[in-house]
Order: sequence, then C-alpha cells, then structure tokens
Amino acid sequence: MTALPAVPTIKRERNKTLRRFTANRLAVAGLIVVLLLSVVALLSPYISPFDPAKQDFAALLQSPSAAHPLGTDELGRDTLSRVLYGARISLSAGLVSVALALVVGTALGLIAGFVGGWLDELIGRIIDALLAFPFLILAISLAAILGPSLQNTMLAIAIVTTPAFARVTRAQVLAQRELDYVQAASALGASSGRTLLRHILPNISGALIVQASLAIAEAVLAESTLSFLGLGVQPPTPSWGSMLNTARGYLQTAPWLALAPGVIIFLTVLAFNLLGDGLRDALDPRGRTR
Amino acid sequence: MTRTKFAPPMILGLTLFLSTAAAETLIVGLDADPPRLDPALSTAFVDRQVMNQIFDKLVDVDEKLKVVPMVAKSWKVSNAGLTYTFKLNTGIKFADGTVLDAAAVKYSIERNLTLEGSARKGELASVKEVAAPDAATVVINLKVPYGPLLAVLSDRSGMIVSPTAAKKSGADFANEPVGSGPFSFVSRKRQDNITLKANAVYWRGKPKLDGLVYRPFPDGDVRVANLLSGAVQVITPVDPKDVATIQKNAKLDVTTFQGLGFQGVWMNIGKPPFNNKLVRQAFSASLDRDAINKVVFLGTVKPAAGPFPPGTPAYSAAIRVQAADLAGARKKLAQAGKPSIPFTLLTAPGAVNAQLAQLYQAMAAQVGFNVKIETVEFGALLDRADKRNYDAVMLGWSGRPDPDGNIYEFFHTGGSNNQAGYSVPGIDSLLEKARAQTAMSARVATYNVALGKIVDDSPYAFTYFTSNTVGNAKTVTGLRLVPDGILRFYTVDTK
Repeated sequence: MTALPAVPTIKRERNKTLRRFTANRLAVAGLIVVLLLSVVALLSPYISPFDPAKQDFAALLQSPSAAHPLGTDELGRDTLSRVLYGARISLSAGLVSVALALVVGTALGLIAGFVGGWLDELIGRIIDALLAFPFLILAISLAAILGPSLQNTMLAIAIVTTPAFARVTRAQVLAQRELDYVQAASALGASSGRTLLRHILPNISGALIVQASLAIAEAVLAESTLSFLGLGVQPPTPSWGSMLNTARGYLQTAPWLALAPGVIIFLTVLAFNLLGDGLRDALDPRGRTR
Repeated sequence: MTRTKFAPPMILGLTLFLSTAAAETLIVGLDADPPRLDPALSTAFVDRQVMNQIFDKLVDVDEKLKVVPMVAKSWKVSNAGLTYTFKLNTGIKFADGTVLDAAAVKYSIERNLTLEGSARKGELASVKEVAAPDAATVVINLKVPYGPLLAVLSDRSGMIVSPTAAKKSGADFANEPVGSGPFSFVSRKRQDNITLKANAVYWRGKPKLDGLVYRPFPDGDVRVANLLSGAVQVITPVDPKDVATIQKNAKLDVTTFQGLGFQGVWMNIGKPPFNNKLVRQAFSASLDRDAINKVVFLGTVKPAAGPFPPGTPAYSAAIRVQAADLAGARKKLAQAGKPSIPFTLLTAPGAVNAQLAQLYQAMAAQVGFNVKIETVEFGALLDRADKRNYDAVMLGWSGRPDPDGNIYEFFHTGGSNNQAGYSVPGIDSLLEKARAQTAMSARVATYNVALGKIVDDSPYAFTYFTSNTVGNAKTVTGLRLVPDGILRFYTVDTK
C-alpha cells in the first residue's frame, strides 16, 4: 500500500534534501573545497610549476619567492609542486580506502543484518575484535606488517574503516527489515538478494553516504599520519604527511615547509567533515537541529 | 669571576655557594639509550660514551690518536711483536674499594676473551695468554703479531672491571657496572637517564664535576630542543641542519671535528644487477660526493675516497676521492649491456638517511639507474644486510683508531662487516700482512695496494667520512676533541 505512491514522494524528498543541503553554507563551502582539491589532484601534472622530485642544489631551503611561491625544501624541490602532487596521494588514499571499506563493510552489514543467526554472530564478533583496537594503532600495526607503500597504506586504512560501515549497515538493515515495504517485497516473491539490493540498499544509502564522506576525512588524516611516521608512501613521492615529517626538523630555520602541508591537510579534513555533516543534516530530517 | 670581585662579599659568597652546590652536575643528551654498560658485551657506540667515564682503560688515545698511558704507565713490545709488557700505575682503587692491580687487568682481558656473548673475542683473537708476574706488571703474549693491539686496548677491550663486582653481579654486571674511572655508576632508568657521581678518590685527582647524567634523545630535533631550552648542557651528535641554529645562539657552542668513521653504500655482488663490476663502478661514479657534503651536511663532513679519514694514521693522499663522472658511468652501463637498471636501495629511518637516499636516487637516475628506496628499521636492515638479502644498502661504520678496524672485517673473506660477500684471495693476504706489520708506513703501503683493487672492484661506494659534532652551553669548558668522538668528562668543568 505504501509502496505505490512512494515514487513521487521520493522525488519530492530529493528536492527537499537538495534544498536543505544548499541552505547549509558551511556544507556548500566544504563541497567546493573538495571539488577544487579533486581538480587540483587531477591536473597536478599540468598546473605544477616544477617536477616535484626535481632537486636543485643551488636553491636549498629557500623562503617563498616569485619562482617558488611556497619556498623550497631540504633538497631544493619546489614545495608548491609537492603540495599539488601530494593532493593526488592524499585524495586517492582517502577515496580508494573508503571505497574498499564501503563495499566490504556494506556487504558484511547487509548479510549480518538480513540473514542473522550464527552468521550475524560471527561477523559481529569479527567487527567487535577490529573495533577493540584504537583506529590509528591498528592502522599503524597493519602498515608496519604489510610494509611501507601507498597500496599497503590504503589497504590498512580500508581494513580499519570497514567495521564502521558494517555496523551502520547492519543497524539500518535490522530497522528496515521489519518495515512493510520489505515484507511486501518478500510476499510478492522477491529473492533475498533482490530484496537486499533493490529495496533495502537504496533506502539506507543516505546513511552510508554520510558515513563515507566522514570516513574520507579520517582516511586522509590517517594517510598523513602513516606517511608522517614513515609507513606511507616512500620518497621521493610527495605526500603531505611525509612533507610535514621532514619539515618538523626545520621549524626554526624554514617554517614555511611545515605550513603548506599542515594547512592543506587541515583544509581537506575540514572540508570533508563539513560536507559529511551537511549531508547528514540534509538526508536525515529527524536529525536536524535547526 | 672578574665581575664578582666588585660585588659585596655576601653576594660573592652566595655565588660561590651556588656554583659549587648546584651547577656541578652536567646533563648530557645522547642519541640512544646505551643498551649494555659492560665492556665485554657492549656492541653499541653509545655505550662507549658512558663506559669511558666509569672504567679506566689500560691505555688511551689522545687528540692526535696517539696511544698514551692510562692504567699502564709504560709498555714494551718485544719478541718480534709477540710480547707486550705493561707496567701499571699503583694506588688505583675500584669504586667498590678493591684494588686495581695486574690480577684485575688479567681478569678483565680474560673475561673479554671468554665471557659468553663477548663482542671482544674478534679483536682479541690474536691473544694467546695474559700473565701477571707481579702486582704492577702485565704481560700479553700473542699467537701472531698484531699491530692494532694497543689501539684495541684503548677501547672496550682495555677497560678494567672490578673482578669482585663482576663475579658478584654475573650476568647483571651491565646494570651495576663497577670500574675505577673518574665517575662511578649510581643508577639508571631505561630510556630515561643514567646517573653517575664523581669518584672522590680517583687516582688522577677528583674530577671537577660532582655528577654526570646521561639522557637519551633518539630524535635529533628533540635533542637540539633540549639543548636550546637549557634542559641539557651537552649533546652529541648534532644533526647537520641544527649546527646553524646552535651557532646563532649566544649561550651555546657547536664543534664539528673529524671522526674515524665512513659512510657509503654496499652493493650486493652476489646477485644482479651488482654482480657486474661495470654496474657497480657506474653507480659509484654517478655519485657527486662534494654535492652530498654540501647539500646534506652543509659542508661539515669530508668526501670519502676509502675507509681511512684524513688525519688518521693510514690516510693516504694517493687514494683520491672519486669525482662524479656521468658520461663515464653511462658508458659503463652501455658496456654492461644494460642502459637502464632498476634496483632497491635499503636505508634506515631518519632525516639524514632520507635525504641521502633521495640524493643517491636522483644522482643515480642521471646515468640510467631506476632506484626504489625502501626504508626499514635499523635492526631489520642489519639483519637483511648480514643475510645478503638486498640490492644495495646504506651502511657505514663509526670507526676505530687503528686502521685495521676500518678495513679488515669489511673486505676480508667472511669478515663480520663484509655485507657484500666480497672475497678476493689477494686482498685477504694483503689485509693479513698489514695486520702483522708494526711500522705504520709499511702498513699504509700495504693498505694502498689493497685499496687500489678494492676501489676498482667497488663492492662498496665510499661517500663521506663522518664528523663528530658536539653542542654545548658556553659555560662548559675542558671538552677534549678526541677523534673517536667520545667525550671524556674527567677534565670538564662548568663556570
């Protein structure tokens, strides 16, 4: 009964969601910064003034100038170019690891929530075990075990991010499972798989989108942290975290080295968090405080 | 002091009181927590910093690396270099009150030779027997002549431990070391501090300081920050990039002086690509050693030609620093039939290592090497180097006063530091010959012949000679700059 008039409601609901989102200026600002960063990451080879690995021994640790707007590092490399290229590493680390966690975590959550029984117990305990460790400690241990490289960093972050998606999905599925439209779909003969993917998944996608955008912020930060600790990308590939690590030693003599990657990490994480918050407010009218 | 002359007597009194009561304990920042304060078991350079205050040695080396008397006041070499007879100073007491005599020296050297896990067995391998004919005479008989013996005895092998304490403590001696040095051990808290106090009855006179505290700061930035804040008064080493920061500070001094060690890159001759001599030579020729000194060390080290730093006895101007030769290197790679060669460069963590690795990477790339940098923890790096599980590895040496300590174990077949698996019978016999020679000029000639071949074979690309660096408050005086890099605090005072 409720399933039939649902189509026009969804459309109207979407428009409302969009309006609610655009009304939140901070969220829009977050979205703009995220889009800008994505463009920078995609175009970094074309907009960087220098090769980020090009060393210039005649220009070591130079302060910002016309030739090097953000100065040069301890090997005479252009900081601006390295920050621009670093966007590729940070964003791809954030996106890839969260995409991986999203797929695996959601699948686990769907199965656990819908099938229930011993399978739910098993998945639940594995998730509990993963959640028992602090996020960063687990990521550091995994990165250390897997060996330092960008792929392994992404894998480590994906693994520690997965439980959150599984938890959110399972909780949502449990709530949706008892609703009329699911009962109706089953009664009409839809298979479990069809019910899950065609009926339940679209209805819980809002929560997952919010979770994903917040997780990206966390993943970007985690990649920076791992690179800062030397467990991320290997030199000379520029990463904001590893740039910050090097810059730490020159805080007194070349403070601009720390400033650029520091500010950009801050902005990126802030932008994804604002975007995530905005999406949550827009997608979940009940959670709105305004 | 000149200013206090005009001050009222009360303030003068107070100043004197403060300077004797408070200011006489010196805090020293090191780059690691010394793992084992036992002369026999120690394998880390940083142990020597602390043990040199706690223990007296049979002999010492001076600023010019000349072997000088310490516990032994004189010695004689006889029997074609097979017998060393030492006359000892008398009236020396250990911190536990027992007497340091010939029997204690004999005990200490024999302990180094026999103790389970002793790291001294190699450098004392030529020793046949130690005898103590009377309380003030020690005779060491050798199996074969061994020129480096005196230099070896100026380090951990020559440190005299209290036999009473060593027997009592057993395996625990490293945690309660007892020697006869200018300072004696009080306490230690792992990863936090080692506290020593002045030996009031030291046989050469009481030291000027009342106490000495060592604190470990593995991170160079943290080490220098503690010096700048005044939390410590002396640090060693100082990261090259921090030298200028200290120089700018009116209250601090920084000194850079020639060390005994070298740094460079081992190439694994046991597998491709470095099993080909041309490829090894090409990598070595791609390195601009002057640029390395300027960029990473801001001119504070010296480019290396071989294992012997300038100013040490075996240094020879005949062994020239290799100039960067990009065209020559490319030609060699072409000759080897491999214009483009990928390899992995293994390095330990740390700011200087990271900078060096990227520099080597960029320099080698100019001639056609595609270098991948792999950073692994130092213990893992050593393990992989020992198992020859690498392409190229950045690994150096802190250095020894006698040249033998900088070459023999590195290029002799089966040497403990021969991580490339280099094995050339002609080199082996030359290194053995140099060991048995007593005149330094003869040894240098032998080394030069060996080095000509070693540099040509290029199992190791020498890049630079390490410098010792010390940062200290200007109030600290009397630091002696001995090339072994160990700060001897017996003569140190604070104003």
